[in-house]
Amino acid sequence: MVGNKELQNEIRKIMDHKDVKYVLAYKKGTYGFQTTPFFVSKREEVSQVIFSPFCLNNLTMYIKNEYAKEKIGIVVKGCDSRSLIQMINEKRIPRDRLFIIGVSCGGVIDPKKRSKRISEPLENVDVVEKDDKFVFTVNGKKQEIPKREIVFDKCIHCEYPTPLIYDFLVGDKIEPLGKEDYCDVKDFEKNSLTDKWKFWEQQFDKCIRCYACRNVCPVCYCEKCMAEQLDPQWLRRSVNISENTVWHIIRAFHLAGRCTSCGECERACPMDIPLMLLNKKVEKDIKELFDYNAGKELDSKPLLAIFKPDDPEEDIK
Amino acid sequence: MIIDKNKINAFINQIISDHIVFAPVKNKDMVLFKQIKKPDEMTLDYNNSRIPPKSIYLPQTETLFRFSKNQNINLETPKKDGRTLLFGIRPCDAKSLKILDQVFTGEYKDSLYLSRRKNSILIGLTCHNPSLNCFCTSVNSSPADTDGLDVLLTDIGDKYYVELITSRGGKIVKNFPGFKPANKEDKKKKEEIVKKAKDSIKRHIKSERLASILDSIFENKYWEEIARKCLGCGICTFLCPTCHCFDMQDETAGDKGARIRVWDSCMYPEYTMQASGYNPRPYQMNRIRNRVFHKFNYLPKNNQVFGCVGCGRCITECPVNIDIIEVVNQAREVKKDE
Amino acid sequence: MSKEFEPNIVAFLCNWCSYAGADLAGTSRIQYPPNVKIIRVMCSGRVNPVFVLNALQQGVDGVIIGGCHPGECHYETGNYLARRRVTVLKKLLEYIGIDPRRVQMAWISASEGAKFADVIKTATDEIRNLGPIKKIKRRNEW
Repeated sequence: MVGNKELQNEIRKIMDHKDVKYVLAYKKGTYGFQTTPFFVSKREEVSQVIFSPFCLNNLTMYIKNEYAKEKIGIVVKGCDSRSLIQMINEKRIPRDRLFIIGVSCGGVIDPKKRSKRISEPLENVDVVEKDDKFVFTVNGKKQEIPKREIVFDKCIHCEYPTPLIYDFLVGDKIEPLGKEDYCDVKDFEKNSLTDKWKFWEQQFDKCIRCYACRNVCPVCYCEKCMAEQLDPQWLRRSVNISENTVWHIIRAFHLAGRCTSCGECERACPMDIPLMLLNKKVEKDIKELFDYNAGKELDSKPLLAIFKPDDPEEDIK
Repeated sequence: MIIDKNKINAFINQIISDHIVFAPVKNKDMVLFKQIKKPDEMTLDYNNSRIPPKSIYLPQTETLFRFSKNQNINLETPKKDGRTLLFGIRPCDAKSLKILDQVFTGEYKDSLYLSRRKNSILIGLTCHNPSLNCFCTSVNSSPADTDGLDVLLTDIGDKYYVELITSRGGKIVKNFPGFKPANKEDKKKKEEIVKKAKDSIKRHIKSERLASILDSIFENKYWEEIARKCLGCGICTFLCPTCHCFDMQDETAGDKGARIRVWDSCMYPEYTMQASGYNPRPYQMNRIRNRVFHKFNYLPKNNQVFGCVGCGRCITECPVNIDIIEVVNQAREVKKDE
Repeated sequence: MSKEFEPNIVAFLCNWCSYAGADLAGTSRIQYPPNVKIIRVMCSGRVNPVFVLNALQQGVDGVIIGGCHPGECHYETGNYLARRRVTVLKKLLEYIGIDPRRVQMAWISASEGAKFADVIKTATDEIRNLGPIKKIKRRNEW
């Protein structure tokens, strides 16, 4: 597991550069197991930086609103590094403005799964890695849970536990934890059209159009979101199954070739809508149809801005 | 009074026969207030609903009036709801409805809100196991607060202890034969449970002189530091029982249409965007500061009531752990503006 | 006598090829079903998936996108980009449970008046069999 001291030292080294505005890292949250994004701008603050299996946030989402000219540092896990590559490819931020600290991550804990197994008191909590298990200490009592049972689903299939891009790496390089086989998507595809609609109708009925999924997404940064345009108004502001469905279809479409499956949208959704089931479908399709992967190589071109003359042409008359 | 737990279903059946009944309904891992037609659709084994019951009186999407044009222009206002009853609401949410009342039935009476609220009966359920982020005791409430309720039930084992708070509540209870007088044991048990619940609330905000402390740091950089993390997603406002900002839109399809009212959020930059392009709250810092002030400064000053009922939903659901308890408590440590 | 369901179809036709093809079908007096309403765009690459979804929301039963044959786009690359978009969109619609046959794409050149009429005939029959759109249609039940 990544040691906090090693991470803090790397951050101090970065802050020695005079033109660094701040470093994006994590610190302890306000209750229980929480961690929170932390903008380190003074040297005295570095000692509060941590990295634990509860560092869930994808810090790259804060880069999308970065307009200043100074440099920034950022701590990224494997999944976050893919979002960063995608943002750099889209020219959101130049590579030389970033000091990237990669952190090898063996999986982060899903709070929903955790809440079913372990209660969360206000204080006195700790969690450490022990081979393929996590050891939770709650008010003195220890409990061991296998990693596979409590990490996010995305972590079980993670192919990039070691970040793909970094200036400094904290922690040892880790071998892939699993293979992305899109089994959930493939299982869902087997349903009939009616059953598929029944499922999604139930899910989109819950949607309250808070747009948290959009705001937390590192690659959703349109200056004027299509959903907020009034002239022409594509999406009415009323909340019903028709508008909700179109919102989700459009967002999934706008993420085609750009979503790197960091899972933040599903984590942020207050109504527990399985957004990754939707986004992963698009990811699987573009991989099969166009042999395209988002956020894996620098300088790759955007999916929907390029074409091959022999692109697949199903049922085009 | 008391009622045996095995009589509750029959009680619910009776009120369903002449009221529209809303109760907590389980939806996988979360609970939402939905209309029920049978008592077994309801679950009382829950901490609090994901979306507060304000959604029943102030629906997320509501028609203000309809219009259509064939020969002439016709204008139509929607019909009013029948008698509604909310069963199993928590004391904090009931208190929040009283705060909404001040907004929607104050100087200007919102007829749509009133039509739902006027004939609505609230039967509450004491919290015997408050959540980690509950802090109702810091904002003039408690797990067994009766403010805003007509009847309050407390789970004391195989029965509920029943408190009649208003005459409306009394009427409902008297119509059902299953309610019996309580004895000293029952009352003692109830008081023990309420005390245990109050003691289990670990998080508090210091509320003395809060409004004036906030006034003294209005221009402080403190708000910028908090706002840095904020995504502006609006989850806190949508799940807050007292938040009530709304927008109005006209929707048309051919020759007919309607003016509708929808929930909006002060966390979005568009909320205060003016037609000229000027935005009086241009940065997230302005918007977060406004929200905290609305709850702990403007409403206390103008309406003598906290704008927050301590339900903790915003803390639990915020994706970046912006914690209103910390924000308010840390505000005291901030060096005051010159 | 009850009216049988007749689908409403919107066709986005690119100005240079498919719209001209449609025009040729008209001047050649070739009959085709009147269910289609045509919207002329300069290139099939102009068609945003939002247009397609908005049409379905407003109650249109099917959408056809007509473009130049690959390699012949008046703007060189527009139809290739449209092809990618429509492929992704159709797969997404199918995954949500909306029949992807409601959205169709066809390459129709300016001289293919007969092909245009044929495409419209087949599309209208297909979409008539699918029935009126219900799932993402706006209810407008104010």
